[in-house]
Amino acid sequence: MAALDTVSLTILLGALLVLAGIVSSLIAMRFGAPLLLVFLLIGLLAGESGPAGIEFNDVRTAYTVGAVALGLILFDGGLRTRLPTFRSVLAPAGLLATVGVLLTAAIVAPVAMFVLDAGWVEGLLVGAVIASTDAAAVFFLMHTRGLRLRPRVGATLEVESSTNDPFAIFLTLLLVQILLAGGATWQMAAARFAQGAVLGLVVGIAGGRGAVFLLNRSGLPQGLHGPFAATAALVIFGVAEAMHGSGYLAAYVAGLVVGNHPTRAHNTVIVFLDAVTWLAQIVMFVILGLLAWPQRLPATLLPALAVAAALMFLARPVAVFLCLAPFRYAWRDKLFISWVGLRGAVGIFLASIPLLVGLPKAYIYFDVAFVVVLVSLLVQGWTLSYAANRLQVALPRLDAPPHRVDLDLPGQLEQELVGYLVRANSLYLRRRLIPSWAKLALVVRNERVLSPAEAGEIREGDYAYFLAPPEKAQALDRFFVDMPAPAAPDERLLGDFFVPGEATIGALAEIYGLQVGADEASKTLADWFDAQLNGDPHEGDTLPLGAIKLIADQIVDGRVKTVGLDLAEHADEEGAPATLKARIRRWLKRIRSVRAGRASGHRHSGL
Amino acid sequence: MPLNDLLTPAAVIPALKVNGKKQALQELAAKAAELTGQNERAVLEVLMQREKLGSTGIGNGIAIPHGKLPKLPSMFGLFARLARPIDFEALDSQPVDLIFLLLAPEGAGADHLKALARVARLLREPDVARKLRESEDAAALYAVLTLAPVSG
Repeated sequence: MAALDTVSLTILLGALLVLAGIVSSLIAMRFGAPLLLVFLLIGLLAGESGPAGIEFNDVRTAYTVGAVALGLILFDGGLRTRLPTFRSVLAPAGLLATVGVLLTAAIVAPVAMFVLDAGWVEGLLVGAVIASTDAAAVFFLMHTRGLRLRPRVGATLEVESSTNDPFAIFLTLLLVQILLAGGATWQMAAARFAQGAVLGLVVGIAGGRGAVFLLNRSGLPQGLHGPFAATAALVIFGVAEAMHGSGYLAAYVAGLVVGNHPTRAHNTVIVFLDAVTWLAQIVMFVILGLLAWPQRLPATLLPALAVAAALMFLARPVAVFLCLAPFRYAWRDKLFISWVGLRGAVGIFLASIPLLVGLPKAYIYFDVAFVVVLVSLLVQGWTLSYAANRLQVALPRLDAPPHRVDLDLPGQLEQELVGYLVRANSLYLRRRLIPSWAKLALVVRNERVLSPAEAGEIREGDYAYFLAPPEKAQALDRFFVDMPAPAAPDERLLGDFFVPGEATIGALAEIYGLQVGADEASKTLADWFDAQLNGDPHEGDTLPLGAIKLIADQIVDGRVKTVGLDLAEHADEEGAPATLKARIRRWLKRIRSVRAGRASGHRHSGL
Repeated sequence: MPLNDLLTPAAVIPALKVNGKKQALQELAAKAAELTGQNERAVLEVLMQREKLGSTGIGNGIAIPHGKLPKLPSMFGLFARLARPIDFEALDSQPVDLIFLLLAPEGAGADHLKALARVARLLREPDVARKLRESEDAAALYAVLTLAPVSG
């Protein structure tokens, strides 16, 4: 019976830990603390050196849980990525995810060798373990902060962080193997890489298509679609791994395939995987926190901090700037992408591999990775929205989306039922506007279900249900946002002057003495907004141009029709007291102007 | 920040009689040329160049034509209150009756932008515009423009 007691106790403790993780997410969101850090801390506190004192040194379990969690997280990441988004940044993000990871590892390596007194393969391994950015960390943080990034920047980060994990894993495994079995040739490494990538891709695409087929044809009972997709992801992961392909890549690609095909119960799948991903995150971080040996950390703290600094301030920025050099990114964007190279569970997870295979001094990798991830989450995580605003990559926040009810229609892929509560100040009620592809199907009023004919005029407080294509349903949200009565316009979003969107950048630069690139001068402002915002400008979006800011004033048919010019900073921005913030800001501005002045091949008129 | 540094009492026209945008710009260019000793045609040309890009009518009956002149020694402002509002092709299509002309030296750079922003933000204050419309003589107009406290 003692054995049973142990099992029950394990279940109890495990569940309590996960529960603590879930509950703490509430607290973390309120304080804006990096959520993942909280999970990690819970694991630490519960561990052998914390007050709970649970002894957990089972690397194999931690690795298994980590692999499963990561597979699910990557599948979910693919599921949420729109194919057009993916394609639009495939080249830059792909380069970052491969060459970028390699560069990062290579730049960290000498530092690691020096501070850890290790050989170059060991140094590279340290670099590889912490080289990938963590998709979950990046996106959890952005979403909990409600940041809305410029689409190109957001998409690059999103695709990069989900595609660089497979490469970092590959690199880590390769280096571990070299350390275990001795020398390896470039040819062997390249062949291994090609095998992993090709098999991962093939299995991912085939598996994804198979999952779509089964989802649509099998007539699964309601409620099983989500679990089906999640397990299918793990099967695909397992198949790819068993064939020595990259299971992580396969999981991501399969998610991409499933997410971009019309499937039955699409929303149920998304919601279920959202929950699964959360749970996977929490379990993975808590277990990794449990596994850590904080009492040993002081010994590796200083070298680990040096590695973290080298990673954040040298390796990542260099890798980003080099990889993105062939593409059109503003230097601000590159700086932001550098700074949002958040490390997460993947780093710690990868660091458990040397432990698992029993490399000599394996704990060093783990301890270093642990500190690097902690520092990254703390420093970069906490400064994320500040950096986004300072570097002007954040867009003004949209109103909180209204709650949308999605109902899957069995036997029907083209349409679903979407429902909203009709609010007093919604666009729908005030202007009776609705896109032509959405058809009012039924109205729920005073707990009675009415047909549109019975309901007649829609009133405040009604629930309106529309038939709409699933992929467009989200676009209905804006018609149901409860907008406050039009207040005084935001002073900052009002241009000092206005010019038509068809004016050219060159003409503007001429009159206001702005420095713009020679190839930009012939572009119209509308095209500029289009290119910078991936064809999705919103009223109030701002773009810096030389010393001034452009504000999208009026948008007609997705094109900027009039542009406000914000010529100078506003009174409350200049002459602020000499706080640290203001000083850093001035300092940044100086760097910016020095940079702008140095940039060669730029037009210089006036300034 | 009031506009003392941009405007002299002599550069205020209390009741300018013009029939249209073009004539208004011509009259203002002539007055600016007279006060700064610049070539009248050159002044008109830079103003027209800016108007070609889009009207400097910023709405609510206010227009701020502006431009850069290579030989101007310092920033120069000229204010005119029109006797009768005219069409200025403004974004909000409202007829314009308050015009502030701002000329800057070629190399003024950021100062030019800041000055323009100050003028635009000052005139956009509903209080300031109202007072300007209520004032009859040059001295009163000058006082509104140079003494007004600016918020925001």
